[in-house]
Amino acid sequence: MQTFIQLSATALQIGAVYVLFSLGLTLIFGVMRIVNFVHGHIFSVAALVVAYLLPALAAGGLSAPAAYVLASFVGIAVALSLGALLYIFGFRHFQRDLVGSFILSIGLVLLLDGVLLHVFGGAVRGVPEIFPGRVSIGGAQVTIQRLFLCAVAVLMAVSLYLALGHSRLGKALRAVSYDHEAAMMVGIPYSRIAFLGFMIASLLAAIAGVLLAPVTIVSPVIGTDYLIKGFIAVIIGGLGSVPGAILGSIFVASIETFGSYYLDSSYATLAIFGLVIIVLLFWPKGVFGRG
Amino acid sequence: MIIKKQLKSGAAVLALAGLIAGAAQAEEVIRLGLSVPLSGAAAVWGKGAEFLCNTAAREIREGGGVSVGGETYNFECLSYDNKYNAAEGTKVAQALLNREGVKFIGGSLGTAPVQALQALAERQDVLVFTVAWGASIKGVKHPMTFTQMNTPGEILPLLIAYIAKEHPEAKSVAMLNPNDATGKETETLAGDIWAKNGVDVAASDFYERGTTEFQPIAARLASLKPAIIDLGATPPADAGAIFKELDVLGWKGVKVVEVGTGADGLKATGGDAAEGVYMGAGVTFEGNAATDHQKAINEQAKAQIGESLNAVQIGFYDSVYALKAAMEKAGSVDPKIVAEVLPQVTFKSFYGEEVGFYGKELYGRDQQMRLPIIVTKVIGGTLAEVARLKP
Amino acid sequence: MDKRFTLGLWLVLGGAALLLSLLIQDFYLRSILNLMAISALLATSLRFVMLMGELNFALAAFTGLGAYSAGYLSTVLGLPFGFAILLAGLITAAVSALFGAITLRAKGPYFLLIGFAFSEAMRVAYSKIDAVGGTSGMVGIYPPRAFDDWLPFVVVGTVLLLLIAFYLVEKSDFGRILFAIRENEDVARSVGIRTYLYKVIAISGACFAAGLAGGLHAFVNQVISPGDFGYLLAAFALAYVKIGGEDFFLGPIVGAVLLVALSSYALGLGGDEHFLYGGAIIIAVLLMPKGVLGMLGKLRLKAAVSNDKVSADVH
Repeated sequence: MQTFIQLSATALQIGAVYVLFSLGLTLIFGVMRIVNFVHGHIFSVAALVVAYLLPALAAGGLSAPAAYVLASFVGIAVALSLGALLYIFGFRHFQRDLVGSFILSIGLVLLLDGVLLHVFGGAVRGVPEIFPGRVSIGGAQVTIQRLFLCAVAVLMAVSLYLALGHSRLGKALRAVSYDHEAAMMVGIPYSRIAFLGFMIASLLAAIAGVLLAPVTIVSPVIGTDYLIKGFIAVIIGGLGSVPGAILGSIFVASIETFGSYYLDSSYATLAIFGLVIIVLLFWPKGVFGRG
Repeated sequence: MIIKKQLKSGAAVLALAGLIAGAAQAEEVIRLGLSVPLSGAAAVWGKGAEFLCNTAAREIREGGGVSVGGETYNFECLSYDNKYNAAEGTKVAQALLNREGVKFIGGSLGTAPVQALQALAERQDVLVFTVAWGASIKGVKHPMTFTQMNTPGEILPLLIAYIAKEHPEAKSVAMLNPNDATGKETETLAGDIWAKNGVDVAASDFYERGTTEFQPIAARLASLKPAIIDLGATPPADAGAIFKELDVLGWKGVKVVEVGTGADGLKATGGDAAEGVYMGAGVTFEGNAATDHQKAINEQAKAQIGESLNAVQIGFYDSVYALKAAMEKAGSVDPKIVAEVLPQVTFKSFYGEEVGFYGKELYGRDQQMRLPIIVTKVIGGTLAEVARLKP
Repeated sequence: MDKRFTLGLWLVLGGAALLLSLLIQDFYLRSILNLMAISALLATSLRFVMLMGELNFALAAFTGLGAYSAGYLSTVLGLPFGFAILLAGLITAAVSALFGAITLRAKGPYFLLIGFAFSEAMRVAYSKIDAVGGTSGMVGIYPPRAFDDWLPFVVVGTVLLLLIAFYLVEKSDFGRILFAIRENEDVARSVGIRTYLYKVIAISGACFAAGLAGGLHAFVNQVISPGDFGYLLAAFALAYVKIGGEDFFLGPIVGAVLLVALSSYALGLGGDEHFLYGGAIIIAVLLMPKGVLGMLGKLRLKAAVSNDKVSADVH
């Protein structure tokens, strides 16, 4: 029982990260109907900036939490700028073009891989824990750092869900994702909405990057692993659906956690892929998908 | 139509360039090809390898070059990105051997691309140095292949015996390795050697490279309550993350990263949990263990690539000096002749000692550099050398 | 397109390719030629499936299956070169038919992402099976010694045969049905066409070619590893199609030739290879949405318009 609680706690924590990723991916797909492979790099950039700046700021005399907050702001700003650049010079021209946007994102992945390696170097950087210490929840050990991450992820997911349901912007986003032509006919400025959707997704990825920096291995290649899991989560949950993204993320995280524990990490990876195919047999558009 | 014509003229240009390059190098430059990852997760290793090859080549040039039969030769390092897989490894092999006409491979990394390289190199009698660990690439069937760093076959017997002696009360071990060639090689050997030293193997797991969430893996290892956790060939950064998670779960015991190569990554992700970790392929530049020469080079390396040098990259420095010694002794720059002489020479390695070749009992021929096995331990946050074992 | 012009074009281009494969003696150029041929085949296979409106990202998995099958049949079971490759293609066709039957009910981005997930899963699977070499890969996949000098000819010849097959199918009724499915699958079904069956057959055929390409790859390189067949393989094939021009049959071939040449040049740049290759793809996609052939076509049209004073389009 103790093990089960510990594993569940782990699954929830890991799932929280995947949620931040998959929310962004599902939002971009819902609004623009494109599959964005370069999303992971926005996450990487934010994490790398924090890993780079934090030691410098801390050496300059700031306390660790203050340095972290400052570095995070810069990281998010840089990541958002990157996202804006990608949208304005790239994805804006490929809306609703699945093939074109996909190839563009592959080219960008290659290019940014090279850029990030050049700018940040390939070495792994450490980010010290900002909230040291751990708590025991129902017998499971959780670090405060990760707890903070979970809390923020939950907050973001809930905010997004509420915003989509009740705010004007949210309604516009939903309208566009259901039927963009009809939405334009009632006067919704499609281009602006698409841009905002893309930026919100990038913000989610940037926040994920900033939150994960103290907890994970920060190097220029970390985006890919999370991206793949994020995509699997949205396939399972259904492209374009927020509850689907959350469900899919928890599902993937659970299999990964319990699978790695009882079997072997590699087999867990295989199991995830296998289960995706099975899920799609019964729900070809994902569990909550509208496609 | 246009495309075909462009293709033909492009081919002509390439062929011409190849000819010119070939002619230019015949005089006094010997090009050393390097097949290493220059992108992706292992990019740091490749860049460090490149750096050290260039450093050795520069030192030799400044020292007067290699004198063979009255002529003076200098080395030039040419490195291509093999992206750690066979398809790219083949492209690199083709480019190095057929396009550039290289006759000596100063170093190669990654079992799959090295196998691709060997397939081509052996048909052309090219001498190959490698850091790859797969047993399939060594031995009598590959007479022109030499290994430039310590591999599990060399490290594990001595390292595990040392740890067993230091911690006689530790009787159980849980092993974890990445799911790739290096991991599999390490795991096969380690299991036997632990058993021989009286330690029970409670479990032996694998994980996918590229994993970033280690909580479930750590939970599984901790649940077995082993006295020792051996992370085998896990890269330092991953190892640090795993030890951190283990720390959160409250596990305490002997921490080993058998073929761990460097502490920087370990400390970056492990923080305090990296304390007390033993490594078998680590190199430390603190204190008295390192010569001034080594420290100076390491500082340059840190500036260029961002972290301290490790045993993998050092091999790319040693191979250059080994080749120099062999060429001078053989009085020839023909790869076949040099390959025959190489097992008999000694040269000054980066570790500061005169080093020769051995390995006949294990591999059938003396193709392994007899490098010292340096056992390091993280003490008080820095990597300290605790033993230097001579094979 | 004038039928005789097409036939002429086939003879000239195909003949030139075969001639090159016989005449080029430089080893490096021969290896590049092999690579171009195999890449062109993979890109054409991908485009074939695009005709029915789906992106077959599982291409990477099936190329790998073909390569590993051919390798296994040759090194472990000792089958001769030709048999190994042909059997590899057939095995791949069978497995892909099964795959398609299960997954083709998912469409568009879902099918894309399943193919992606499947390719990655197969990559992990290969690395765990020791019988095929595990993560170190499989070695010793040698074509018969007699073929050594003729290998490019065999490769180019095989690829050419398959390309002809693809072309003929595309121009046939089967091809037209695929177009109809892409336009609107429901309409096609409403006139009694068993669209699902056609889609499965199309995927199976396309993957037969991919499996064969994989087999050729195995013998040309002699060493294969799981990392060769990750999602990037399919991504690059897609880049070849898009950059060459997806509207044209020659598009993927042109794209493959150009990009393989570019990447071989970029290899010399060491770590900067990614800049060049990624940058090239981005620029091509942004500036030439219809690909190289599309742009050439537009230029020709503009030239025609300016020459011809009695043109229908007045700008």
